[in-house]
Amino acid sequence: MPLAAFVFNALALNKKSAVAGWVSTLAILVSTVCAVNVFARVWDSESYIHQQQVWFTIGATKVYVGLLLNNLSVLLLLLVSVIALPVHIYGMAYMKGDPHFGRYFTYLSLFCFSMLALVVADNLILVYAFWELVGFSSYLLIGFWNTRDKAVLANKKAFIMNRIGDIGLLAAIVTLFAQFGTFDIDALFGQHGLISQATIQDGAWVTAMGISMPAVWQWVACIGIFMAVAAKSAQFPLHTWLPDAMEGPTSVSALIHAATMVAAGVFLLGRFFPLFSETQLMVLAVIGCFTAFMAATIALTQNDLKRVLAYSTISQLGFMVMAMGIGAYASSLFHLVTHAFFKCLLFLSAGIIIHEMQHLKDEHQLDIDPQNILYMGGLRKKLPFTFVVCVIAACALIGLPLTSGFLSKDGILIQSFEWAGHHGGIWYLIPVFSIISSMLTAFYISRLIFKVFFGEFEPEKANPHIHPHFTDGGLAYKIPLAFLALSCFFPIFSFNPFSYESAWVVKGLTLAEHGGEADLLHTIIPVGITLVSIGIIYWAYNIYVSPNRKLFPQDTFLFKLSYNEWFIDSFYNNAIVKGTLSLSGALFWIDKTVIDGFVGLLQNIVLTLASITKWLDKYIVDGFLHTLAATTVAISNFVRGFQNGRVQYYLFSMMAVLLAFFIYKILI
Amino acid sequence: MISLTHFLITSAALFSIGLYMVVAKKNAIQVLIGIELILNAAILNLVAFGRYDKLNNNGQTFALFAIVLAAATTAVALAIILNVYRKYKTIEPDSINQLKD
Repeated sequence: MPLAAFVFNALALNKKSAVAGWVSTLAILVSTVCAVNVFARVWDSESYIHQQQVWFTIGATKVYVGLLLNNLSVLLLLLVSVIALPVHIYGMAYMKGDPHFGRYFTYLSLFCFSMLALVVADNLILVYAFWELVGFSSYLLIGFWNTRDKAVLANKKAFIMNRIGDIGLLAAIVTLFAQFGTFDIDALFGQHGLISQATIQDGAWVTAMGISMPAVWQWVACIGIFMAVAAKSAQFPLHTWLPDAMEGPTSVSALIHAATMVAAGVFLLGRFFPLFSETQLMVLAVIGCFTAFMAATIALTQNDLKRVLAYSTISQLGFMVMAMGIGAYASSLFHLVTHAFFKCLLFLSAGIIIHEMQHLKDEHQLDIDPQNILYMGGLRKKLPFTFVVCVIAACALIGLPLTSGFLSKDGILIQSFEWAGHHGGIWYLIPVFSIISSMLTAFYISRLIFKVFFGEFEPEKANPHIHPHFTDGGLAYKIPLAFLALSCFFPIFSFNPFSYESAWVVKGLTLAEHGGEADLLHTIIPVGITLVSIGIIYWAYNIYVSPNRKLFPQDTFLFKLSYNEWFIDSFYNNAIVKGTLSLSGALFWIDKTVIDGFVGLLQNIVLTLASITKWLDKYIVDGFLHTLAATTVAISNFVRGFQNGRVQYYLFSMMAVLLAFFIYKILI
Repeated sequence: MISLTHFLITSAALFSIGLYMVVAKKNAIQVLIGIELILNAAILNLVAFGRYDKLNNNGQTFALFAIVLAAATTAVALAIILNVYRKYKTIEPDSINQLKD
């Protein structure tokens, strides 16, 4: 079994450029088959597979490398490969003719590989490594069209935001290792793992072995994990990279947003779930709820097709994180799965629309933005297949009955009400806000559908002479879309279309049986939400399609707030980017004047000292030697004068010396 | 009356003249003459002091010896001068400075 897993990992890593598309698709097909196989064996079998081997040893610490396959990871494994397969097939058609076709599939394979490896990794070091790889390969994919300035900016942004999260993850891992002395996920988070035995007593975090450290470290670990999740799964306040990441090819957006990158955050949350305490889960719930609400309001007014979908993704991810926060662990992952399918579907159909619009633009030299929904309309007749799958996905996103979204979303909403019922008081705000977000979702996605598919085709209205010949594309487009659309319906997940508890995903993941079910809630909420959603859809239809349309005032504060994405991006730009820049400027100035000045001063001092030394050397030391030498020369010359070989002179000298002696003798 | 002092003064004068000639003259023969003068000054002193030894006349005897020796050294010195002349074609002491290294 692990051998099979390793084989598909190796295959997924395959990097051939010429036939890269086929190779990658084949590889992902094989991994899908393997994943299904693994899934069938592990799922609900009350056991999990945990294989490991010693990787390296540091001191007394052994680090293992291995696989951990439990319900959570096989679910994600299946999800990732099943979503990646249609995206690969679609990508082969979508990227046809692109000069970097091979590079695209190489990156895509790397991305899938790192994601698949992330979900099966059994220790924190491996998780961190693949976490980084996922971030890195998404960086490559977002900036795939690296000649576009915007794409480069977007991938830089995504990368930096993800780095912030990586720091958090690293901090959390290090903290956990310091506390528990192991990287093994199973040992840490398993059924009777170390985390569940660790308790907080008197402000200290005590493990079962009796090692204790201040309780603040438990918070550090949780905040670190949360940072990582927020960066990967685009939670407030680190969500701004995701809309920008739309600069990548649309199929990449589908993969990143639907199945892999953003799922990594929720997956990590699922892995680390036992670590969080009650209070920390509440924080998670609040942040998730806030993100869901904020992103939904932003999505209301965006005009870029892909940005609407991006904010919709953020909103849905907010739902998932909130579900984790309220303890609806299974529902959260269930929503992750269903969302993966319908969001992938939405993105892929958006890809077709954008593709066709781009063609139209190139053909007729129109001055339109192929992603702007204001330039679309009436595509219902031109792209009938895309229209149908899009509507299905939108229904699933709204959570209409008979779709998968209905099951998962209502599961979250019901459980949030139950949770709020336990906590009471102000915590009712969370379900209320999530219901509002859910309503907003219904509105913005209907707005999208109506703007794109209903009404009249705007470019045609502006220039009547053009005759766009749109097609839904060949089988390579249709098969993935049909497959994903099929997956949006309830039977895939549950035979009972109205009860989320009977979905197999929820059954397999539920951690503990929850007690008395509030039956009233279970009927009222789905019915109420469905009715209100339908009302909202009708309202949106009235606004955007019917002839007597009423336009929203576009200058209110709320509109601006939403249109400018709550000013978060511009706040980051002003506060953080500019702040950093001016800080750098200030540091540069300090460097230049203070440090360089100090160094310059030092240099001058040294120079002066050196010249003094030089003078001393020259005139004192050398001078002494020179004097000595000169004296010697003078004496030598004087003495040499006597040795001139003339006998008479010698005699004279002798006499003179003798005389001198006598005179000396006489005088003394 | 000629006293001992006169003899000694004469002798000293002779010595000084001889010394001067040895040091200053530009001719080896004259230098030799100077040497003779110094020798004779010494002999004059020997003879002058010989009056204190009237019994054995040792002073006079030494003077005779010295005169004989002086004649011998003069002969040797002249021979040397002759050889020097042969070698250097001059007998000027200043130009014979091979004694230096």
